[in-house]
Amino acid sequence: MKRLNPSLIVGGAIVAVIVLMALVSFVWTPYDATLVTPTSRLLKPSWSHWFGTDKFGRDVLSQIMVGSRTTLFVGVVAVGVAAVIGVPLGILAAMVRRWPGEAIMRANDLLLAFPALLLAIMFGAVFGASTLTAMIAIGIASVPSFARVIRSGALQVMRTEYVLAARAAGRRPVPIAVRHVLPNVTSLITVQASVSFAIAVLAEAALSFLGYGTPPPTPSWGRMLQESQEFLFSAPRLAIFPGIAIAIAVLGFNLLGDGLRDRFDPKLEDRP
Amino acid sequence: MKSSFRIRAVAFLASAAVLALTACSAGSSTSGGGSGSSPGGDQKLSVGLVAEPASLDFTTTDGAAIPQALLGNVYETLVKQDDSGKIVPSLAKSWTVSPDRKTYTFDLVDNAKFTNGKQFTANDAVFSINRVKTAWTISLKAAMDVVASAKALSPTQLQVTLAKPSNDWLFRMTTRIGAMFSESGVSALATDPVGTGPFKFSKWNRGDSIVMVRNDDYWGSKPFFQQITLKYFKDATALNNALLTGTINVIGTVQAPEALSQFTSNDKYQVIEGTTNGEVLLSFNNSRPVFKDLRTRQAIRMAIDHKALLDTCWAGRGKLIGSMVPPTDPWYEDLTGVAPYDLAKAKSLLQASGAAGKTLRLRLPTLPYATSCGQVVKSMLEQAGLKVQIDQLEFPAAWLTTVFKNADYDMSIIAHVEPRDLGAVFNAKYYTRYDDPTLQGYLAAADSGDEAAQVDNMKKAARRLSEQAAGDWLFLLPNLIVADKNIKGLPTNAITENFDLSKLAR
Repeated sequence: MKRLNPSLIVGGAIVAVIVLMALVSFVWTPYDATLVTPTSRLLKPSWSHWFGTDKFGRDVLSQIMVGSRTTLFVGVVAVGVAAVIGVPLGILAAMVRRWPGEAIMRANDLLLAFPALLLAIMFGAVFGASTLTAMIAIGIASVPSFARVIRSGALQVMRTEYVLAARAAGRRPVPIAVRHVLPNVTSLITVQASVSFAIAVLAEAALSFLGYGTPPPTPSWGRMLQESQEFLFSAPRLAIFPGIAIAIAVLGFNLLGDGLRDRFDPKLEDRP
Repeated sequence: MKSSFRIRAVAFLASAAVLALTACSAGSSTSGGGSGSSPGGDQKLSVGLVAEPASLDFTTTDGAAIPQALLGNVYETLVKQDDSGKIVPSLAKSWTVSPDRKTYTFDLVDNAKFTNGKQFTANDAVFSINRVKTAWTISLKAAMDVVASAKALSPTQLQVTLAKPSNDWLFRMTTRIGAMFSESGVSALATDPVGTGPFKFSKWNRGDSIVMVRNDDYWGSKPFFQQITLKYFKDATALNNALLTGTINVIGTVQAPEALSQFTSNDKYQVIEGTTNGEVLLSFNNSRPVFKDLRTRQAIRMAIDHKALLDTCWAGRGKLIGSMVPPTDPWYEDLTGVAPYDLAKAKSLLQASGAAGKTLRLRLPTLPYATSCGQVVKSMLEQAGLKVQIDQLEFPAAWLTTVFKNADYDMSIIAHVEPRDLGAVFNAKYYTRYDDPTLQGYLAAADSGDEAAQVDNMKKAARRLSEQAAGDWLFLLPNLIVADKNIKGLPTNAITENFDLSKLAR
């Protein structure tokens, strides 16, 4: 009998809650997340405001709910960009041996050496700070890790009998890549995507904290942290709630990644 | 897989603990001083400020940060303002005005020297005044247009003839326009300023600090501190923390007023609260069709609950003014009643003008008050029926280029800290693109008339701006300074362009 996989269950549950929260926020939040209400500034948590209100009188719970949309949007865009560029590059590098494959991987290494946040700040300075520019930059910075992981998986697939048979039968490289290689590296893509998702969430929070991410007043967990700085002494809850949200989301995606890796890797199946 | 789950869980708990600790901890220490032959010996001081200058050359670069650092400290003017706003001698010991109010004769000090070793004479004053017209590029240089000629009667006597009587000109000579330069010291203004002031420019660590050292050859009374570092912080909380940890000794302008309680409740620090010239303006691009309709402009003013805005975005510190005049100017009137908060009326005005439902672009500089107030303004205007899209532009570079130079904006928020800047800010050439012949008429009459006419016409001008809703004056920035308890000589009001470092002592 297969063992229960707690990482997968807990990670999956956390991610499901975040997705649910984001979906619900489209139709319902306790209050308008961006409505400034000067008369209800800095209220403590109560039945009417579960997490209290911030200095603009905005409901913190509503902001965290709407902020989860930003978090998911960020993850999807960043991982999407990274996968769309990184996966074909990885497969290409595995299939085209000799110098073109090497050239792809060395260019990849060059990009890997460039810090993701620095790239995002540079993009923000050139194209203007927005969630989308930050995330495209984070996505581009995640391309090398995708390409590297996918290449190693694709190299294994390329040595299998069915690929050799397909090549002997004269199938062209593109159909081989699409029909034989890609389906066999899907598990790797899934695992890498969930790990990159967690990194992207953290990067968005960091960038918004620095003022290069989501511009106000769109709720973002990172910017909520930034805005709460001056209240660290008087109302620390303003930092704690978004801080916990970020920590839980990152934990959730990491656990999901771990769980999926364990699930897909047959060698780990019987490990205690 | 179990172990990996455990590791993740432990890491999570650890990060939560770190988060809790960062929320609760704050160190504090004070730095000691030295001793020496001068009053302050070799003592050093660090002053924390926001908004680093884009260049050190205020003759070609706009921005309040340059004169804040250099004027009065490195550069001096012939006359200056005292704390009450009165014009008093500086490099000019005394001056006389001819009966037709067109000729000013200044008697200059004879012992002032530039930091490049050259003696300050009337020829330098002539050079500096003429240079404003020929080499300066910033819009404020227009204040010197009224000068017909300047000549040196002797090395210590200067005569300036105006084309027409001007009340404003002598006052402008107290600002950066009146800074005295050495003919041989203007080759590298952007990086190496040369003046006659109590401090010498020493070093500019871009992105971090400007260092000044005491000018031991200074002609007046020498400053207490041997070295003063102006340290620039982009982040308001980092600025507060720098004082708490002893990295700086003075916060020149508090940018996180909500956090002030951590200093007021600590007897290691003193908190000074006064007034400034910094009108926080919600500026309108009056050249845009949507702002051509007076009803739209008035509606925006009426849709904003200024008291609530001040409480929300600046902790209730500051003053509501209602026009472009601070209470320290002689022609101040409380004009907050001209466009009182009236949401229903704002809605109907927007419907009438056809602006309801339109999207306005609010392009904000990345400055704490602008980011904070921008969100309140957006929320309030959207309740009245407008749509507001916020863009943040990096300050100073991106904001100065996009909004200030190219006027590519609908609305913005910025504090105008220059003294008596009503005429400079509201004209067709400035980024407000406000073209109003009636206003210009009042300003011209104020400038050329006698003192009573000046006050009367400036009052009319301020009221005109308010009634025409040329912009909206959100509030007047307070002068909030926090410093180590033992620092003396800090100004209560900040009504000039400069931060006077020469009076500071320990």
